[in-house]
Amino acid sequence: MNLHIRPILSALLRNRTGAILVAMQVAIALAVLVNALYIVTQRIEKMGRPTGMDVENILIVQSAGFTAHYDLKSSIQQDLAWLRSLAGVLAATPTNAIPLSGGGSSQGLTIVPGDRTKNDSFGYYEVDEQGLDALGLHLVAGRNFRHEEVEPPITLDDAGRFVGNVILSRAAAKELFADQNPLGKPVYDTLGKQATVIGIVDPAMNSWVDSEHADWVFYMPRLTSALYGGVRYIVRTRPGERDAVIRLAEAHLATSNPDRVIHFVRPMTYFKDLSYLGDRSMGIYLLTVTGLMIAVTCLGIFALATFNVATRTKQIGTRRAVGARRADVVRYFLVENGMITSAGVLAGCALALATGYYLSLEYALPRLNLYFLVGGVLVLWATGQLAAWQPARRAAAVPPSVATRTV
Amino acid sequence: MLGYYLRLALRSFARTPGITVLMVLAIALGIAVCVMTLTVFHAMSGNPIWWKSDRLYAVTMDNWDPSAPFDKKQPDLPPPLMTYKDAKYVAASGVPLRKVIMYPVDATLSGTGAAPLRISTRATTGDFFAMFDAPFLYGGGWSAAAEDPPQPSIVLSRETNDKLFGGSNSVGRTLRWNDHEFRVVGVLDYWFPRPRFFDLIGGSFQPPDDAYVPFAWGPALSLQSAGNTDCWKPETINNQQDFLASDCVWVETWMELPDVATRERMQTLLDNYWAEQHRAGRFPRPRNNRLTDVGQWLRDLHVVDNDNRVLVGLAFAFLAVCLINTVGLLLAKFLNAAAVTGVRRALGASRRQIFTQHLVEVAILAVLGAALGCLLAALGLAAVHHMYAAAHLGQRGGYQELTHFDTVGVAWAIVLALVATLAAGLYPAWRVGRTPPAVYLKSQ
Amino acid sequence: MLKMQDISKIYRTDLIETYALRSFSLEVTAGEFVAVTGPSGSGKTTFLNVAGLLEDFDSGRYELDGTDVRALSDDARSRLRNQRIGFIFQSFNLIPDLNVQDNVDVPLRYRGLAASDRRERITSALELVGLASRARHMPAQLSGGQQQRVAIARAIAGDPAFLLADEPTGNLDSLMARQVMDLLEQINEMGTTILLVTHDPELARRAQRNVHLIDGQISDFRAYEPRPAPSGAADAAGAALA
Repeated sequence: MNLHIRPILSALLRNRTGAILVAMQVAIALAVLVNALYIVTQRIEKMGRPTGMDVENILIVQSAGFTAHYDLKSSIQQDLAWLRSLAGVLAATPTNAIPLSGGGSSQGLTIVPGDRTKNDSFGYYEVDEQGLDALGLHLVAGRNFRHEEVEPPITLDDAGRFVGNVILSRAAAKELFADQNPLGKPVYDTLGKQATVIGIVDPAMNSWVDSEHADWVFYMPRLTSALYGGVRYIVRTRPGERDAVIRLAEAHLATSNPDRVIHFVRPMTYFKDLSYLGDRSMGIYLLTVTGLMIAVTCLGIFALATFNVATRTKQIGTRRAVGARRADVVRYFLVENGMITSAGVLAGCALALATGYYLSLEYALPRLNLYFLVGGVLVLWATGQLAAWQPARRAAAVPPSVATRTV
Repeated sequence: MLGYYLRLALRSFARTPGITVLMVLAIALGIAVCVMTLTVFHAMSGNPIWWKSDRLYAVTMDNWDPSAPFDKKQPDLPPPLMTYKDAKYVAASGVPLRKVIMYPVDATLSGTGAAPLRISTRATTGDFFAMFDAPFLYGGGWSAAAEDPPQPSIVLSRETNDKLFGGSNSVGRTLRWNDHEFRVVGVLDYWFPRPRFFDLIGGSFQPPDDAYVPFAWGPALSLQSAGNTDCWKPETINNQQDFLASDCVWVETWMELPDVATRERMQTLLDNYWAEQHRAGRFPRPRNNRLTDVGQWLRDLHVVDNDNRVLVGLAFAFLAVCLINTVGLLLAKFLNAAAVTGVRRALGASRRQIFTQHLVEVAILAVLGAALGCLLAALGLAAVHHMYAAAHLGQRGGYQELTHFDTVGVAWAIVLALVATLAAGLYPAWRVGRTPPAVYLKSQ
Repeated sequence: MLKMQDISKIYRTDLIETYALRSFSLEVTAGEFVAVTGPSGSGKTTFLNVAGLLEDFDSGRYELDGTDVRALSDDARSRLRNQRIGFIFQSFNLIPDLNVQDNVDVPLRYRGLAASDRRERITSALELVGLASRARHMPAQLSGGQQQRVAIARAIAGDPAFLLADEPTGNLDSLMARQVMDLLEQINEMGTTILLVTHDPELARRAQRNVHLIDGQISDFRAYEPRPAPSGAADAAGAALA
């Protein structure tokens, strides 16, 4: 099909300011679109990582004793007994920290005692025999903790004590043992104290969603010490009963023990949402602004095409008079728009790559994926044709008799 | 003549209402996005104690692991916190005008008749208030004599005082802090430095603490930090004494050093202490003792995160697209009316008069765009504020504190809108002024 | 009043040069009514644009009121157009979104006259063309003849020394055309010099003097029966002819 590119191009070049402005908009829009979508995709992937936990159905209670009468162990036992007695509760465990919350503890683990070459740090959680159930974790190898394995809380006088058994996340096991079967093998803390790996869960995440290795985590069978701001209870409910249990817990626990104060009872989603708040708002903001930018660019294309049609009414009429069909007129304007958009897209590709390179250099964002560039080019090209469609149709409606009119 | 141009501009808008609305909307959107982003960025990158930020220094010493830096991404920086023993040592120095060692602890307030209150307390030395210009509503801080041994003195935030004492002057009243009897010596007024430069670890935009007690209470009651405690050395810690003597860092240290000479003396003191300890087998890494002023501290701890820098770039790219769009629309519109301009030229309008006439039209668009842009930005910020506030369950702190639209912001928005739009309108107005008058006068 | 000597105007494109005016000379004295005629493409419009200071020329000398316009800046030319020249176009060129009085007002605005002065001039100009009652009408509400009379009012409101009329009746029927020509004669009789550009010999006949253009040059002087010269300008015109 002959698109008559050369005459359209030469007409364009004679009247280029408007076309250049639109091409500039297209170029910037492409660069932004491609990079923004790439960043958004990464954030969505990050937020969508499997946690391995039943986040939606878990609630967290934070309790802190503050009087001399407060007894940690009996308080935990009382609270757990009450929580586990609730009809909607599937499992509950005391723990030292809330996964995905941004706060918690981590420590080094090695498979050679005293090895200081790796400095790997693993998030850890002190749980009891219901710990895995309370978190909703999936045991893929080995066994769970038994009730009798749960050790007493550490105190200031034996803060360096380790545990007998640990359960690792698969990612942690892979980091430590590579391809060996870790079950039954020893791991050592930084002081060289030994524990035995008895189980593997997968997937799993620790407290820090932004850390490089958010899936390096292990679990210890131990009552938590409450050294760091009190005891947290992780309580998993049947689906749909979480909020009811939260209300019950708030009412009961606030008064059940005068020697402690309940800091909060909150759904686990609160902590997860808060941790991802920056990513989520970045995504929303990027998408909104990029969408607006495409819309504004669309308007620019539409306005230029409308202007071109309006100023060329006579010329269009003449073309029609000498035998151009409506489809020819429509095609003329679509080809013209296509050429403008293509010029913009071409410049935009360079701009997008440069922006992507700059972002990766300056802000350590990953390098731009080229599929996104191809997609962005197609989107902008289609958008441009769409925006020019209506003015082109209007051009086609110009009657041939315009050619003979004088005023 | 200005009145005449204004009237012509209004007629011109009336002739092409659609394109006028489009232009105002495009300008307004560009301005709104820019103002929103810059408001947050400005709040984030603010220096809340700029008037003395070059006198205040965070003290850090690199006591870290010989085989790895504290932060692999910034290997030349020491840990932001100090060990207990090092902090105690440098704080004993008489060189600085003021000095503070501190850490946050969780505590419970009771004994006031109200329900026990879980609060965050700063265990700090008494210079804190004068050094960071924390304003007192009632009473004051405590003297150095109240620190060793620690006196049961407590300073409450105004919010805490409101909760416990209904806002009355509670100085002299007693309450129980972690079940020990304390006497209120002072109540702070509202105070919310953003970012919370003196403790960036627990969230840069969190409000300050609910209460303040003499530093020594923390170690004396074996209270662990509610902030960060980082350890690198395999050390057996079997009691509180072991912990305090360990190479774990958890104490934040600040000093007020009023002049270069004092700062140099302090640096020498740190270096001498380092050398002495190094000889005794500590500080295995190369010497890296730092006095960091507030501005650098905010940069080192990345208060402004990369996302926000990217967003500022995005906002300006968007504004550029909006303005280029406006240039295109203006050009199309002005040139579309070139015949009328030709008549005006024939009737004796000079280039400058034509240029001014069109510039007035652009200026009106700029004003409308700026006004609408500010409105949209205010709405947008309110929406973002609600989004963040909802995520925080209505509590204070976090990004929601950055969404306030201040008068300076409005002024900047208006200036930005006017300058940007006028700049965008300059070329079309100039171009239409250059139109040769004869071309458009003949009938088609 | 108006003196052109050896004026040449060339339109250049990449490929060709076209002489629109070639060594064109013309002198018009105050109070004259001169018609410039010629077939299309003869350079009439170029002459009008050059005479009206709308376009530059390439060589020659053009004096208006004794001022050499070649040396003038764009601003000074604008001022001259504004104060000394009135334009009347074939297609009227009224500004469509201004009403009648605002159209007449346009040149007065650029002259920076006081509001009361402008009001007076607008009223008397509209009275002269017989459209005082239509002051608030929009151009589209008027007939072609009325529109052209508004354009005449606009041209004379500023008391120009001479009027440039480009085919002023070209878009009008014969009755309206006659009215417009009567009006122009009346204005000429009041002392305003008029240059009428037309291809129509019938119209040209109503002028005192005819200049015939062919290929950018004056071909000859063809005097039609001159009507009696207006009293004030008679001597001057006579002197020029002699």
